[in-house]
Amino acid sequence: MTTVSNEERAVFAELADVLIPAAEGMPAASDVDVQGAMLDHILGLRPDLAEAFRRGLSAAAGKPPADAAEALNRDDAEALGAIGIVASAGYYMTPAVREVIGYPGQENRPADPDETPEYVANGMLQQVIDRGPIFVPTPEA
Amino acid sequence: MASSGSGARARRHGEEVDVCIVGAGPSGSVAARYLAEAGFSVVTLEQGDWPDAAEFPGDKPEFELVAQKQWHPNPNVRDRDRDYPINTDESAINPLMYAAVGGSTTLYAGHWTPFMPSDFRVRTLDGIADDWPFTYEDLLPSLEAMERVVGVSGLPGNPAYPPRRAFPTPPLPIGKCGMKAAEGMDKLGWHWWPGTNAMPSVPYNGLNPCARRGTCMTGCPEGAKSTANITLWPHALKDGARIVVGARVREITYDAERNRVTGATYIDRNGRERHQKARTVIVCGNGIGTPRLLLLSACAAFPDGLANSSGLVGKRLMMHPFSAVLGVFEEDLESWRGPFGHLIESNEFYETDEKRGFMRGAKWGAMPAGGPLGTTGFVGSKIFDEGGRVEDSWGTNLHDLVDRRFGHSMVWGIIGEDLPEESNRVSLDPKLTDTDGIPAPKLDYTVSENSSNMLKFHVDRLLEASLAAGAIETVVVHQVPDTGWHLLGTARMGDDPRTSVVDEWGRSHDVPNLFVFDASAFPTSGGVNPTATIMSVSHRQTMHMISERRNVEAA
Repeated sequence: MTTVSNEERAVFAELADVLIPAAEGMPAASDVDVQGAMLDHILGLRPDLAEAFRRGLSAAAGKPPADAAEALNRDDAEALGAIGIVASAGYYMTPAVREVIGYPGQENRPADPDETPEYVANGMLQQVIDRGPIFVPTPEA
Repeated sequence: MASSGSGARARRHGEEVDVCIVGAGPSGSVAARYLAEAGFSVVTLEQGDWPDAAEFPGDKPEFELVAQKQWHPNPNVRDRDRDYPINTDESAINPLMYAAVGGSTTLYAGHWTPFMPSDFRVRTLDGIADDWPFTYEDLLPSLEAMERVVGVSGLPGNPAYPPRRAFPTPPLPIGKCGMKAAEGMDKLGWHWWPGTNAMPSVPYNGLNPCARRGTCMTGCPEGAKSTANITLWPHALKDGARIVVGARVREITYDAERNRVTGATYIDRNGRERHQKARTVIVCGNGIGTPRLLLLSACAAFPDGLANSSGLVGKRLMMHPFSAVLGVFEEDLESWRGPFGHLIESNEFYETDEKRGFMRGAKWGAMPAGGPLGTTGFVGSKIFDEGGRVEDSWGTNLHDLVDRRFGHSMVWGIIGEDLPEESNRVSLDPKLTDTDGIPAPKLDYTVSENSSNMLKFHVDRLLEASLAAGAIETVVVHQVPDTGWHLLGTARMGDDPRTSVVDEWGRSHDVPNLFVFDASAFPTSGGVNPTATIMSVSHRQTMHMISERRNVEAA
């Protein structure tokens, strides 16, 4: 399991805020702590991202984050891609963010199989039926 | 064939059985279930494992994240030990599959779309490709039998098909997304029908009813998507069938003196080589795995691959190149909600009209658009395209994008008929191997001009359909690479041994106790998702094997 240093977390938080800033009523990535326990969780789920992720952080260290992001985009898109996946996945997995965008997650929500479908009740499907068959039948042998 | 009565079992490891089946996907599992019921002793060799629904990520927050790697349908991306690698350097489409009991249906979307009457008569009707050795009507009894096993949900009366028996469970809700799609079709006067799906709406044959979680393509944690491990194997095991999981078959063994296959050699999970003796072998490894195995089984009598006197083993690969149109709407469509099978389908432009600039046609399926990560990526394996400026995909634009599209999007997918061409083929890679050292397949596949023109035409019509439904924004993804779900045609069936590998019953023209029951044998691809037809063809061939048991020329 990848151990991420505090310095790396700080660089990641700055880059993540370039990618996902506070705007449009949404919190910034660092506001929901994508650089904290969520980061470890994401890298635990996707260890394949770790190498490119850390390479990107290493290249970005000490640079203004917006410039660093553009440099990665130009020189090491794989690294920026990994940082972007880690940031956005962590962000949209955070309950507070899901609440703001109105996403309850992939819910179990069974339906009533006996309910008459709306398209039957309102006659929509009848128009399709009334236009008649559209298949080409098997030709005679 | 000397099957030994009801409940026949192979008593010891490797002991000769009536039938050895290679592959426990939809076709192999159908064969195992009914052969065991009829009293044949059956051993199935499956390189994957039993799927564990508790591992499926759909009920976990990280669902979308792991769908891009561990649960990706492309084995080259997923890179699990049980997968074999595939050299796709020369292929425009990446083949998708999953090794498990249940096969690739573990990850399919469950669209249940049987081939249509014209699909079996392409040569007669359109003067291209080939007719099948049987008709839609010949296959219909098996189709209806399979629907009763699968627990298909759907509404009867679709005018795109001849009148037929009703589905065993009522249709699933089409939701706000499906209604929006249907509204557009109605405005244009085009055909649509509520989707038929391989997921029941009520408890059925060991399946739970679909709970609309919408995560079908990473395995169904509800146990509601119809897969063979749930619907077929409990019956097969009860009737005495055996299955060996983690068994990688590297060769079908052949006795040249008698011109009979004698079983299959495989590598077990512990790396040991074993041999399963059998009087009959049925190969069900999918359109890539089956020709790979026949090519691996080359011998002095068949230097170009077992049962390959026609030279067609591995050739005529068809994969249904795929395009999609995303429509974005003002209204909240709750478009993360399932089922991820198609909500509605359309066959308006399914049949040939030469004025369009291509032959044959395509089926459309309207599907939900997924969660927030899916919204930003839409279709494909990468969330964000490389290149461009950072702010194109990120920053406030990301928030704008999610605000505009998430929950408000609907996807129309196009499955178009892919015509067979011998240059599209599977061969053995000279260097690449799986983790047991067995040579991996290599693909040579080009999207034909016919397929490309077809997809462009259908994209244009779907843009019209999306706008008619009120879309405020549309996005086209043309010929997506990671969409080779349907692997067809590489050991085609036919009446003439010079131009086909197996006959209409799946029996090799060259070796009388060797069979292919999977979609490798399909002469043409249809323009629909093939699982319904794969299971039906296997059922028809299995029933014939049972009825002809006294006449089979076994080893």
